[in-house]
Amino acid sequence: MITVVSGLPRSGTSLVMQMLAAGGYPILCDDRRPADDDNPRGYLEYARVKSLEHDASWLDQAEGKAVKIISPLLASLPAHHDYRIIFLQRDLGEVLRSQAIMLQRRGQPPGPSAEVMQAHFERHLQTVESWLSRQSHIRTLNCQFTDLMRGPLNMAAMIAQFLEGELNLTEMAAAVEPTLHRQRKRSE
Amino acid sequence: MFEPRIKIERPLYETLKRAAQIAGYSSVDEFIIHVLEKTAAEVEQAQSENEVRKRLQGLGYIE
Repeated sequence: MITVVSGLPRSGTSLVMQMLAAGGYPILCDDRRPADDDNPRGYLEYARVKSLEHDASWLDQAEGKAVKIISPLLASLPAHHDYRIIFLQRDLGEVLRSQAIMLQRRGQPPGPSAEVMQAHFERHLQTVESWLSRQSHIRTLNCQFTDLMRGPLNMAAMIAQFLEGELNLTEMAAAVEPTLHRQRKRSE
Repeated sequence: MFEPRIKIERPLYETLKRAAQIAGYSSVDEFIIHVLEKTAAEVEQAQSENEVRKRLQGLGYIE
């Protein structure tokens, strides 16, 4: 069984990886992408995930561990493994604002307007949801980012139950730093 | 209120009419609307996938 932490970039996937690591769950990551202003506590990514579409041989190393795989790559997961996916859902306005800042820091062009990009992401998420519902070898826990920020201990317990593991819930909850929730929905 | 209309050549219309009958549609209009909706959705889907992919590359998440 491989545990996958997924969602759109900037939806809280790194945070959940940090929670899992703090709670004592084994994670698969390397130090190729160090912490920066966008993720002061680190990304906890595994570089070979980027080439998942062409090379999935490394997935054997992820057995019994958690690995971060962003949502557009999920369809490339080979079906001969079983997966538990913790899927982060966050307000798309927050995601897009956070991505815009990250793109700027990386010196990348901003791309389409937020409105256009939101429509693309909505379409993408519908496709992913539909795909996940058809995969008998995948179990999914949808995790709302706002619930995570408001009740980290509850979310830690929910994740631990989903993973059927004895995790340190207090340490998991302590990994959630509210001050790092910087791109809040306008109404909050 | 007038609905938008499009013009197509008679030979194409006859082809579509035959195809609609073969596919079991009750009218050629119904068939054409279905085909156009399906094609438009595919084009939008492809564009979305492309834009999402470019965004991920910009953010450093895929090669």
